[in-house]
Amino acid sequence: MLNYIWSGLIIGSLLFALTVDTQELAENRFRNDQALPVTLEFPDGYTPEARRQPVEIRIDSARYREMFGTDAVPESSYAGRLVQTEEGRKVEFDPDASFPEPLATIESYHATDDNPALRGILTTAPSASPGTPQLEAAVQFEPVRFRKLRSIAQAALDFAETAASLALSLIGVLGLMLGLVKIGEEAGLIEALTGVVQPLLNPLFPNVPEDHPALANISLNLLANVFGLGNAATPLGIKAMEDLQSLNPADDTASDDMVMLLALNTSSVQLVPPALLVSIMGLQVNQLFFSITLATLCSTVAGILGTLALHQVPYFRATAPHRNADAEDSADETSDADEREI
Amino acid sequence: MIETIRSVVSVLSAFVLPTLIVGFPLYGLIKGVRVYEVFVEGAKEGFDVAVTIIPYLIAILFAIGMFRASGAMDYLVDLLDPVLGLIGVPAEVLPMGIVRPLTGSGSAGLVADMINQYGEDSLVVKMAATMFGSTETTFYVIAVYFGAVNIRETRHAVPAGLFADFVGFLASVYMVQLLFG
Repeated sequence: MLNYIWSGLIIGSLLFALTVDTQELAENRFRNDQALPVTLEFPDGYTPEARRQPVEIRIDSARYREMFGTDAVPESSYAGRLVQTEEGRKVEFDPDASFPEPLATIESYHATDDNPALRGILTTAPSASPGTPQLEAAVQFEPVRFRKLRSIAQAALDFAETAASLALSLIGVLGLMLGLVKIGEEAGLIEALTGVVQPLLNPLFPNVPEDHPALANISLNLLANVFGLGNAATPLGIKAMEDLQSLNPADDTASDDMVMLLALNTSSVQLVPPALLVSIMGLQVNQLFFSITLATLCSTVAGILGTLALHQVPYFRATAPHRNADAEDSADETSDADEREI
Repeated sequence: MIETIRSVVSVLSAFVLPTLIVGFPLYGLIKGVRVYEVFVEGAKEGFDVAVTIIPYLIAILFAIGMFRASGAMDYLVDLLDPVLGLIGVPAEVLPMGIVRPLTGSGSAGLVADMINQYGEDSLVVKMAATMFGSTETTFYVIAVYFGAVNIRETRHAVPAGLFADFVGFLASVYMVQLLFG
């Protein structure tokens, strides 16, 4: 299942990026070959020999709209500077200015760490005498091509990095919670808890034998979820998953119980909104208390019922690691052999 | 009434983690467990677990990151908009419904964007925030939980999780309409 979704995401993003890029090239959205007419104003008067000097850049909105074929309106004037380079005279806009589309995209496409400014070569500028206060000119921006293709490649690199650092950042809390659970196990606390939650959880996890600690760890995980302790819930969920895996006859195939635990986790009832939401919304979150609790109640019930229903689907039934054990006590070797066929 | 329940819950939730963190070792001590040694032994697994999930997390996150960067998500929103409009889902909250199961940070950013755009008191922001608070990042949970025990064949985990997300999405829309609309 995940195989198809995963390759779908990757191939889909490539196809989509290509479509957008070709479309943009075909309609020449960024007017790669045209220069934008501007009026440059020199507050201190034009100095031909200065390597860089401040300018006010005025863009006529009618000509802007005509050239790019948009309804967006540029601001009446932008701060910037005129720089002498080997390629010619260059106009650099103030990096903090906000631009209308498509200038905003052109800016972000060419922005580098060293030079985040929107910049372009000055063309068709007549040679002006020193001290001129104003200059009619045109700016040729660098071309924008295949920007989506570039950005998906960049995103792949960025997110791979994020994934690794995210996983490593879990080490501390994982260690803390797993250490505590270990004490709980040794002290018999988990065992005691198992007895309490068994009647409640047993119907959902039929393949967990009575008095198995998995149920206690599952209930700790669910409890942490209900109280919005995301960071603590994850290690407890992983611990519960390990317990379920120890009961799973297959090495790399999820059992029904594992799917149920996952569904309960993604849909868990929440009495306390996640910390991230509180940090975004502040105290406004208080009024959402009921809507969040009720919505999660719905999704939890749906998660449980949906998972129970999916357990019965023949396609998934055929790959269930416990299917032989359900029918009769068949030998482990047979079930292992079956797994390999799939 | 809402305030009372809310404050009781927030007091309770303040106690859960301290109770776990202090309660377990305390109980262990009473039962004569060598708490320090046992704790360290258990905590040792933390590193292994984190390292085990790295490949799964990379696989899931980079694919989702690429998909987002390609702009396909916006296209999906346009595609689904007329269908969901029929059952009373406002177009503004649709991106949230699509992004939520894929990325946690992305959907948090979306809530922040929507607050800027529509204001904190608007119904659509309340819907989006309820969605954010009521469902988990399904693909992340799959990568982490199944990755930790090296499960590669996930069977019906994705449909089950997404079904729950979808119901949570609709429930968020209707609950907010019911309570604030």
